[in-house]
Amino acid sequence: MSKKEKIVKSDQSFWAYVKRQFRKKRTAVISMYIATFIGLVALLAPFLANEKPLVCKYEGKVYFPVFREFAVGLGIADFPHEFSNKKWSELHYDFVVFPPVPYSPLNQDPKNVHSVGPFAEQDVPSRQFKHWFGTDELGRDVLSGLIHGARIAFTVGIVSMTIASLLGILLGALAGYFGDENLKISRIRFFINVLFFFFAFFFAFQARSYALADAMEASIPSALWQLLISLLIFIGIMGIGNLLVIPFKYIPMFKKEVSVPVDIIISRMIEILNSIPTLFLILSILAIIKKPNIYYIMVIIGLTGWTSIARYIRAELLRIRNLEYIEASHSLGFSGMRILFRHALPNALSSTLIAIAFGIASAILTESSLSFLGFGSGDTVTWGVLLSSARQSPQAWWLAIFPGFAIFITVTVFNLIGDGLTDALDPRLKQ
Amino acid sequence: MKVVEAEIKKEEKKVTASLSFPLLGYILKRVMIFIPTLIIISIATFTIMSNAPGDPAETLLNQKAGDGQATDKMATDKAYREIRRQLGLDKPIFYISVSSLGACDTLNYIDKAEHREMLARMSDRYGNWDKISHYYDAGMALDKAILFAPRDSSTTLPLVQLRNSSAIILRSWQDVVIDSSLAEITRLSALPNFNSLKAPLDQFIAARADMKANPTKWKTLVPTIHWNGFGNQYHKWLFGDAPWFGEPGMEQTGGFIRGEFGKSYFNKRPVKSMIWERIGWTLLISFFAILITYLVSIPLGIFSALRKDTPTDQFLTTFLYILYSLPSFWIGTMLIFFLCGGDYLNFFPPTFMGDVTWDDGFFAKIGDLAYHMILPVFVATYGSFAYMSRQMRGGMLSILRTDYIRTAKAKGLPQNKVVWKHALRNSLLPVITIFASILPALVSGSIILEFIFTIPGMGSMGFAAVVQKDYPTVLTVTMFSAILTLTGYLVSDILYAVVDPRISYSKK
Repeated sequence: MSKKEKIVKSDQSFWAYVKRQFRKKRTAVISMYIATFIGLVALLAPFLANEKPLVCKYEGKVYFPVFREFAVGLGIADFPHEFSNKKWSELHYDFVVFPPVPYSPLNQDPKNVHSVGPFAEQDVPSRQFKHWFGTDELGRDVLSGLIHGARIAFTVGIVSMTIASLLGILLGALAGYFGDENLKISRIRFFINVLFFFFAFFFAFQARSYALADAMEASIPSALWQLLISLLIFIGIMGIGNLLVIPFKYIPMFKKEVSVPVDIIISRMIEILNSIPTLFLILSILAIIKKPNIYYIMVIIGLTGWTSIARYIRAELLRIRNLEYIEASHSLGFSGMRILFRHALPNALSSTLIAIAFGIASAILTESSLSFLGFGSGDTVTWGVLLSSARQSPQAWWLAIFPGFAIFITVTVFNLIGDGLTDALDPRLKQ
Repeated sequence: MKVVEAEIKKEEKKVTASLSFPLLGYILKRVMIFIPTLIIISIATFTIMSNAPGDPAETLLNQKAGDGQATDKMATDKAYREIRRQLGLDKPIFYISVSSLGACDTLNYIDKAEHREMLARMSDRYGNWDKISHYYDAGMALDKAILFAPRDSSTTLPLVQLRNSSAIILRSWQDVVIDSSLAEITRLSALPNFNSLKAPLDQFIAARADMKANPTKWKTLVPTIHWNGFGNQYHKWLFGDAPWFGEPGMEQTGGFIRGEFGKSYFNKRPVKSMIWERIGWTLLISFFAILITYLVSIPLGIFSALRKDTPTDQFLTTFLYILYSLPSFWIGTMLIFFLCGGDYLNFFPPTFMGDVTWDDGFFAKIGDLAYHMILPVFVATYGSFAYMSRQMRGGMLSILRTDYIRTAKAKGLPQNKVVWKHALRNSLLPVITIFASILPALVSGSIILEFIFTIPGMGSMGFAAVVQKDYPTVLTVTMFSAILTLTGYLVSDILYAVVDPRISYSKK
């Protein structure tokens, strides 16, 4: 026992310290467990709530319909035709195992329409098919909606925060580390970069605008593919521009250095984004999309939500850039970019975890407010959609309580994790 | 989140403070930054809105170009063109435009949105604008010829088909679609009575062949920048086209900076009057929300600061944290659900507008208003208790640690006097200055709040405008909330500088 403790104490690496600090806060640890649980539910949603059986033996053959669903989704398999045009629950199986909730979120149970409550008498074949959390106006199972809603919520949180952190870390780091005076580049490089930015934008996005627009209407993968091509063109042109700089650098007139006021530019961008109320900003961007769906919402939340991460990183780098080891690496003659990305940024990264945890909470909250307002979710069942359906069924308390509670718990849990991380990672903020 | 953000803000402030100017200069600098920021916001929102789908002129005209009599169609087209001209939609969007050598830079002169799209697609594909414009002219001539083709009872049906086909041709860019419609026209024009179509059809086919035979695809890859001058949509929206002095003309407007925000596409009313009708409710609720937040949070903050780290403090913090995490749209829905009639309790009215008017007596009206405002104000407030009381607690704690408080205690002042007389004043300062920074949250929250409680405020108006694609209103509401928010930041920063002399705004 005491030996073990000694080993733990002697482990003085940064992450071990953070872990120890984080464990000290009970609420944060409990939140972590709850978040993991919800995450697992989200991950396993198709196995937990699905109209299709997990395993079944039908007319002498054994099938795994839920697994098969994935293969069908990928287009490498098909459901045997004896299953088409029939309800899964009404087939006569030799042997069957249904998921715990034998309903898909969009599955309408015609016998239990008009919001049947969890305690009301339900017209179901057996206890297994009971709607534990009731149904909504169309007879869709609320519990199944909640389980699949968890999936949507987590996807929203993760996708939007990935986009937001990429943008936020890059921009925040540039602003914080270089400030307004320290990013010095030669005149010619500055000039060429501005010029080629224009070209790159033109060739990557403007000249390809119809290809991009058509791909976005067609499908998500094709949109991503076209976007990737555009990005590669963009990066390629910028790269060529920066290669062109090299021969000019031998001419003294071009070689003279100018400083780029990165901090002013990026801080203004942050201020502008922050000055339009988030929900309104997202709503107006959504207004120009012809057919909004949940993926657009994720991307838009990501594109508008990077500011808090950027501010975090910026504040952190303002501190780090004055530390002695940065000075030391300056004196070793490393370039600014190298010091920033190899030496300074890694030390600031840990604190973005805080912003990301809070960001996930607010992204989930934003998405559920949007779908509560009836915006952008298409025909996906999300927590916000379920909650808003309570407004149409004034007697269905289960529609008001369960989805809202799911949102509340998830948001709180991520906020508490963020809080715990703040204490663990950044003792300066604690006081 | 907010607590941490405030800390970051403080840190940012420390840094900027050490770099910046004396107080007056600082204020001046902040105001100077305010204006370009607003301009950039307006450009961004304007660009977004002008690229939005839908055709405002058609929405306003409220009817589709039908297939009635030729003169009808001409009249509709004329009215349509007139509306476009009034709205200034025939002008370029901005001062400068970036396009390619192959594209047409005066595309906005074309009336129909569908035709513009077709032409843009064509020039993206072939890059020979002169040929494409010939093609379009020939197409329009064909369309017109069909419109004026002789009508009698035997030709009614083929005429409808012809019109449909020519309309399809004028809005499509896919070769397959054009080919099939063209085949249809060729087939039908072979009928007797339709001899007048021969010549335009041949010309159209020739123009199409010419366009397809001589593509200059390379031109689409040459970027060009075009200066559009002041006659553009943005300029008109911002500055208006009326003379600055003297009577404005019939269709001239003042523009945004002269307080003219355009007309709603949806109900054709001036956006200005819609805003003035509604902004009052939003501001009223925000005012009470801020007031109550302060009235509750400051005592709570002091209370928990004085009991730092006791179970009471921890309980209070946790409780407020839970309140903070409760999504307001959930609580709002639940309150309406369980307290406002429905199948459960009936304590409060479910909608916002009562039927008591000012004529029923001043106090009756005030009482009714208060009755209707309890729930919305509660929902708008409860979340900010945590943030504000946390700020207050932090401020109080840092003051209690200072030397002068220790001195006060040491000279034997009673605890009460130390706290309420000496510590309170200084610890209030930062809390008071941050009132402005909760304004944006209130504006943003007003969308949800007003949606739930059906309050006729700015948030619900903005939301409805987005749903109805009523862009002038969206633009105005966005600008207003941006102005409100930026003013909030500005006032908060200036107050912070004025109130706290310890922050040095002079150069070291």
